[in-house]
Amino acid sequence: MGVIARLAEGAEVPLFLVVGAGGRLAADDLHLQRGVRVVDTPRAAALLVVVGRITRALLHPALVVHDQLPLPRATLWMPTDTEGDADPGGLMAAFPAVTTADVGNADEFRTVFADLVSGRRPSDPPALPDMEPAHWRGVGPYGHGGAGMTGGVPFGRALPSRAPDPDGLELDQLPLQLGPLHPALPPGLVLHVGLQGDVVRQVAVGTNPYQVWPGDPSPGPLDTALFVDALRAPTPVADLELARARHHLRWAARALRLQGLGALGRRLAILARSLTAGDRGTVESLSRRMTKRRSLAWAMAGVGVADGELLDGLEARLVTGPVRRAAGQAEDARDHDPAYEGLGFEPVVHREADAWARFRQRLAEATQAMDLAERAGTRLRQPGPALEGPRGTLHPDTAMPTTALLELLPDLLAGMEWGDAVTTVASLDLDVEEAALPTLTPASGSRMVGIPAAPDYQNGGGGAKTRP
Amino acid sequence: MNWSSPLPALLLVGAVLGLGAYAVAVLDGAAALVTARQRLPLGDIVIGPLRQAALAARTRRSTTERPDLQAWALAPALLAGMAAGAVATVPFGPDTAVADVDDGIVAFGAVMAVVMVGVYLHGWSANSPLPLVGGYRFIALALSYEMPLALVLIAAALPAESLSVGAIVESQYDLWNVVRQPLGLPLYLVAGTGLAFWGPLNGADGADLAGGTSAEVSGPARLMWALSRRFVLVAVAVMGAAVFLGGWQGPWLPAPLWMALKTLALLAVLVAAGHRLARVRLERFVVVAWVVFIPLALVDVFVSGALAL
Repeated sequence: MGVIARLAEGAEVPLFLVVGAGGRLAADDLHLQRGVRVVDTPRAAALLVVVGRITRALLHPALVVHDQLPLPRATLWMPTDTEGDADPGGLMAAFPAVTTADVGNADEFRTVFADLVSGRRPSDPPALPDMEPAHWRGVGPYGHGGAGMTGGVPFGRALPSRAPDPDGLELDQLPLQLGPLHPALPPGLVLHVGLQGDVVRQVAVGTNPYQVWPGDPSPGPLDTALFVDALRAPTPVADLELARARHHLRWAARALRLQGLGALGRRLAILARSLTAGDRGTVESLSRRMTKRRSLAWAMAGVGVADGELLDGLEARLVTGPVRRAAGQAEDARDHDPAYEGLGFEPVVHREADAWARFRQRLAEATQAMDLAERAGTRLRQPGPALEGPRGTLHPDTAMPTTALLELLPDLLAGMEWGDAVTTVASLDLDVEEAALPTLTPASGSRMVGIPAAPDYQNGGGGAKTRP
Repeated sequence: MNWSSPLPALLLVGAVLGLGAYAVAVLDGAAALVTARQRLPLGDIVIGPLRQAALAARTRRSTTERPDLQAWALAPALLAGMAAGAVATVPFGPDTAVADVDDGIVAFGAVMAVVMVGVYLHGWSANSPLPLVGGYRFIALALSYEMPLALVLIAAALPAESLSVGAIVESQYDLWNVVRQPLGLPLYLVAGTGLAFWGPLNGADGADLAGGTSAEVSGPARLMWALSRRFVLVAVAVMGAAVFLGGWQGPWLPAPLWMALKTLALLAVLVAAGHRLARVRLERFVVVAWVVFIPLALVDVFVSGALAL
């Protein structure tokens, strides 16, 4: 075997992640795994890693991404639901070849990768036929698939239409679907955007790919599973607060990665992974240093202002949690929770309501959670409604916090540069999967999801060979 | 030195760019580990970039629907060729420049303007929206980098009373330009970071665009683009070392070694900044560039001019 091949075998394994139902935590942990590197585009990956249970709506995008991986490539699957049926629909069979790996077993990655690079394992063939995704040739007066001179959907992708820009000029607007596998958006989030250059003119949230069809197992385990379970079972307050601190640190790690500070984020994620009650000082000093970073403030201050007016208007009045508190409103279910009485709990509040306020809000809440965990000792929280989760108030009869946050997106993102839009979406800490749960009541009727349907320019990006 | 045969010139420029790009990769890996407070055996840090390159070389190129193949291949070549042209104007010792032409500074500024073409072509040719947006971004920002860059270089040429890089190096015999013109180097590094779309100014290939202009590139083409980008960064550092840090001049050590050390120091600053500074908001950066950086660069020119009179 040549020198090049031997060198290549030792390289960090480049992975592109498809986060299925219940796969969020395991996917986050892969960012910390030694010897692997999670990459931003399938074109840079050697392994496609499906984490958790793939859903029907995720399958086609995942297969498209699969075919975007360059050769040699392989597919790995990390089921996270070890008790139930990990793939009830048999959907994984749609991939040409799948190797199953245990969660957190990096050796499996290395073995598959080494076999692949050395040629001992054949590369995956494409999963989909290489054909144009829509019939368009010869359609319309000029044969370009459209009705007039412009317009039309050659290659199945809509050509730019015209729309006014902020200066009143009529400029090209490119309809585009981003997600559900876009690495800069939360897993599963689908945005239908109208882009003028780098500026997002229109936004609509697409169909939730984690939606539950009749006969499907319900989503999860969610990354906030401990909090959801605490609605029904006695749980130590210290455990809840440690989990809250861990959640916020993980979130901050993701937000930093999107700001180009992946290494710094990694430091927070490593701390989160092994967080114990004794780490209070570390959390506090790290949070303080993060919130003093000028360049971070520069990147986030004034971006994505979701103030009280916006939160109370529209139908989004159910917005709770750090997003509401970062808008200056001290609403926190722990305020009225008997389990927190006498712990000296005061809601943390920031006033500016922008992405920077939400960043500082969550880091401050992480530090506060470490304090509460220390003070709570062995105190138990008895089951009861209205538990404050890390994304907002959990209540058996109301929708999960992300549901309301998703409704904010169209108003919040319209008019932003794409980079700011990514910052804003990250600052809301969305979990699209939890939004697929109608409510937490097991007996609730409809299992369909209250997310606005895709707009009619939806076909603007479903090409077989486009972006992730 | 006699450059009548092209071979030594090619070797010199190739060695500077190649070793420089390798140094950037090693420094970058080390800086990431330090920032994350992680440890890795030194061997892995040193060999890591070579392993990545080997993997890229063994990965097949992929394609998109109807790409502009010529332009796609041309883009990294433009960037690399431009960096080579820039490095050629810089002396690595007394009379050791490939082409210490009379107006080397102007030549440097001129080739640096080609980055814009290379990056836009790279974004354009994949025939895919996210790379194209990356290309737009660079076009929108390029002038904000190139104006301060050109101005601070002109200011550095004033005390030397020459546009030749060799003469500028020699004019710093008594006092380095980094001290004589304190505004120069910081502005130069900001502009240089932008031209190499590096770290906080990586709008063109940013993570928010899934890799921007390189979102659709794989295998050897991806490796070539990554290398070319680092070549630009190295060219910026080499010129910075010559124009602001006294170039090859220094006691005890041989001249080329001084050049190498100063270049490495600047590369370390650029790489560390990439891990410490958050992605810059593009529109805001343009405002700051025109309201703060360009006026400061003009002040630099006027003050340097007055002092040189």
